[in-house]
Amino acid sequence: MGQQANRSGGSLKVLGKRLPNLDAVERVTGRAKYVGDIDIPGMLVGRALRSAQTHARIVSIDTSKAEALPGVKAVVTYKDAPKVALWGHRGYVLNDRVRFRGEAVAGVAAVDAETAEKALKLIAIQYEVLPFVIDPEEAMKATASKLFEDGNQEGQARILTRGDVAKGFTESDKVIERMYHCPTMWSGSLEPRCAIAQWDGDRLTLWASTQAPGRNQDNLCALFNLPDANVRVIASYVGSGFGTKSANHMDEGLTALLARKARRPVKLQYSREEEILDSNTRFETKFYAKVGVKKDMSLHSLDVRCITNLGAYHTRLGGLGNHCTHVYRIPNVRTEQYRVHTNIPNTGPTRGVGDPQECFGLESLIDEIATEMGWEPLEFRLKNIKRTGDPIARGGAGTEDGRLVTQVLDKCLEEGAARIQWSRRNATPGAGQTGPKMRGIGVAATERGGGGGQGGTTIKVFKDGSVVLFFASTDIGTGTRTTLPMIAAETMGVPVSSVRAVSGDTELAPYEGGSFGNRTLQGTGRAVEAASRECLRQILAAAGPMLNNAAPADLEMQDGVIRVKGQPDRNVALSAVMVRRGNIVATSITNQPQTGMDVERTSGAHFAEVEVDRETGKVQVLKYIAAHDLGRPMNLTIVENQLEGGTIQGLALTQGEEMRFDPRTGACLNANFLDLKPPTALDFDPRMLEAIVVENESILGPYGAKGLGENPTHPGMAAIANAIFNAAGIRLREVPFTRADILKALSEQQTTPGRTA
Amino acid sequence: MAKVTITVNGEARTVSVPPETTLLKLLREHLNLTGAKLGCDVGDCGACTVIVNGKSVNSCLMLASQVDGFDVLTIEGLATTDQLHPLQTAFEEKGSLQCGFCGPGVIMSAKALLDEEPDPSVERIRDALAGNLCRCTGYSKMIEAVQAVANSVNSHPSVKSA
Repeated sequence: MGQQANRSGGSLKVLGKRLPNLDAVERVTGRAKYVGDIDIPGMLVGRALRSAQTHARIVSIDTSKAEALPGVKAVVTYKDAPKVALWGHRGYVLNDRVRFRGEAVAGVAAVDAETAEKALKLIAIQYEVLPFVIDPEEAMKATASKLFEDGNQEGQARILTRGDVAKGFTESDKVIERMYHCPTMWSGSLEPRCAIAQWDGDRLTLWASTQAPGRNQDNLCALFNLPDANVRVIASYVGSGFGTKSANHMDEGLTALLARKARRPVKLQYSREEEILDSNTRFETKFYAKVGVKKDMSLHSLDVRCITNLGAYHTRLGGLGNHCTHVYRIPNVRTEQYRVHTNIPNTGPTRGVGDPQECFGLESLIDEIATEMGWEPLEFRLKNIKRTGDPIARGGAGTEDGRLVTQVLDKCLEEGAARIQWSRRNATPGAGQTGPKMRGIGVAATERGGGGGQGGTTIKVFKDGSVVLFFASTDIGTGTRTTLPMIAAETMGVPVSSVRAVSGDTELAPYEGGSFGNRTLQGTGRAVEAASRECLRQILAAAGPMLNNAAPADLEMQDGVIRVKGQPDRNVALSAVMVRRGNIVATSITNQPQTGMDVERTSGAHFAEVEVDRETGKVQVLKYIAAHDLGRPMNLTIVENQLEGGTIQGLALTQGEEMRFDPRTGACLNANFLDLKPPTALDFDPRMLEAIVVENESILGPYGAKGLGENPTHPGMAAIANAIFNAAGIRLREVPFTRADILKALSEQQTTPGRTA
Repeated sequence: MAKVTITVNGEARTVSVPPETTLLKLLREHLNLTGAKLGCDVGDCGACTVIVNGKSVNSCLMLASQVDGFDVLTIEGLATTDQLHPLQTAFEEKGSLQCGFCGPGVIMSAKALLDEEPDPSVERIRDALAGNLCRCTGYSKMIEAVQAVANSVNSHPSVKSA
């Protein structure tokens, strides 16, 4: 199977247990300093001027009055912005053209917020207004207003293909076509974006609320033409991210630009409205799908055309994940993905790179074809899912040139079904439910990879045996400042209480892009395990002479005591060794291990039981089971948090968080919490949710761990849609599922007897 | 400028601030108490929750001059030098927070609840926390932590959530 050299296994002393977060005290006492809490003497307040135009060219911009206002220390416009594109972005820090309403067009740094805000009003801009487009399919037309000279499509269509879908459909016994729509959805954090920039000559320090200090460092070096060694990005406490902070935005560059011009530190904190309008939120998808099956209950052909609304500038990813190619054994598959720019705010990957949207489409479609054929949808899934040993594509390509390993989707489905008592579901969807409330049960499956990219750490053992672990990725609430020290403690044999993590600092630790894509625990964790082994090697080598010249191979360390194996009385304390040895520092930089043909994915299955109120359209989730593969659990408390939080975030998409845009003006109509309706403690009764950790061990991750951050958010929309169908016989193909949508579907059902799908 | 005298975490403070200064801004920018967070500044998210004269309030919705002469308790005033408040201990041990940005506000809402109602039901706890948005969790471990403190207070009547 795998070829990972540093595979550990065996019985574990620290890992796999429950442990409170090592930095929890800072968080519960309010002592944790998020970027907005940091104060630097002489620091100025930054503010951005945001355009009320949806699409316009700047004809002239006059900042003289703003600059003349006492207390204003710097004003910058597109004229000051380096002509270097932001990372993963089509634009500069500031542009001479506005491509979405709310785009920053100028920045001000002043001695206080009142002065900065007053200065914004003194900036005079003349615009040439351009026609705008907010619908991605409209934007693909030749007649559409163009955001960029080369048109509105980002790159070529991304096409994955295997087999021959056209032939596959002719060979199929039944073919259906459906369209599923996910709108642009707010997926941001409670902490609004904030950055502080401080220059010391040509060296820049930037504190940022980012998931990606490394990507920020890269981009700031490019913007200001500085060597890597001159730019330090620090993201210590980060108020979550979910992907919206996984790339730099314009704000980090703008803050640095203002601070350079003002020659003083500048803090730029977004308001909530700015955060909603400029946070790389979850992108809209129009998912056109056609599926064919054979009478023997096999999936035979799947053709998907997906149009993704990237918003104004973002270029990276924004396509589908790999659900269509990786979840099921289908001989003929084709996915064709178009990424389209429109005049709405930037979007990006959030808790999945389109995975929740793709999962909604595919898992609804699977349910629909099963219904058409009269098949039991769980049985249909179990017959067709990929299992360990099945062929699977390596990388993103369609051709199945690899072999799936450690896959336990079958167990996720079986254990979840047992827990929700799947047999209670309505054999005929919506049938026999005559009362005002209708109950039903639905399922959806998911999968994703993880742990990719370079991981790195530096570990320092002090002379008293205490340990600091540095890594440049971030703990955004994912608990890596706890799980990574646990890996170090396990590997070295020291108490976890003696290990502290310093995260998110590009100067202290080896380069990493950041925390995203299920990667930190698995990817950085591998480096932590390797660097810990090197520290242990040096410790044991130094301890030998203190134990009658025992060979290092005969030594072991437990709880910070080095002893001769089998002779526990011959021992020496780590601190005694370290006092003689001095500090030990080890660095490890690892890449994804080479696994030959083996492909490892992380799967999960969700089961929902809902009650649909025929009179009010309200959908209540009565029971929800989230069964997941996560390899070997490292810290059960953190696992439960990821499973619960991710699941609720997926469920939230069924009831709110849609960003609505006025078709007449292009303005976002609900850029506030009150109208976006993220879930409160009253929306989902946490007692209805049960998480199942399916037993498994990874070949890629440290101690068998797999990354988990994203998967729990994927299946919610499909699981609820399928449960609503089972309850009421109505099929919802657009999220969110509002009460109005449900009442409308119910009334259409009544006027069209016999219509069930 | 408005002169405001308040008792913050047991200490009398007098500050002169511009009249439009909110209590949140007073705490964060004039008194260097950054535990209460700026999440929305319009009273939607509860990240800025503090306790004023025994009631939990969104400090972004009160002007500093409105609390003149009042008693304000912030997250920084809960723990003593050597001991966490039982709610803080419970939030730590249960793993109730993830990124923690909402945490100070949630804990202050929970404190105000328990001060008023030492033995709240789960429904009552959910209701009391409904003004505090959290994006990371599903709120369950927060609710568990509040319940744990409520139970311990009730089994040891001498322990008050001071």
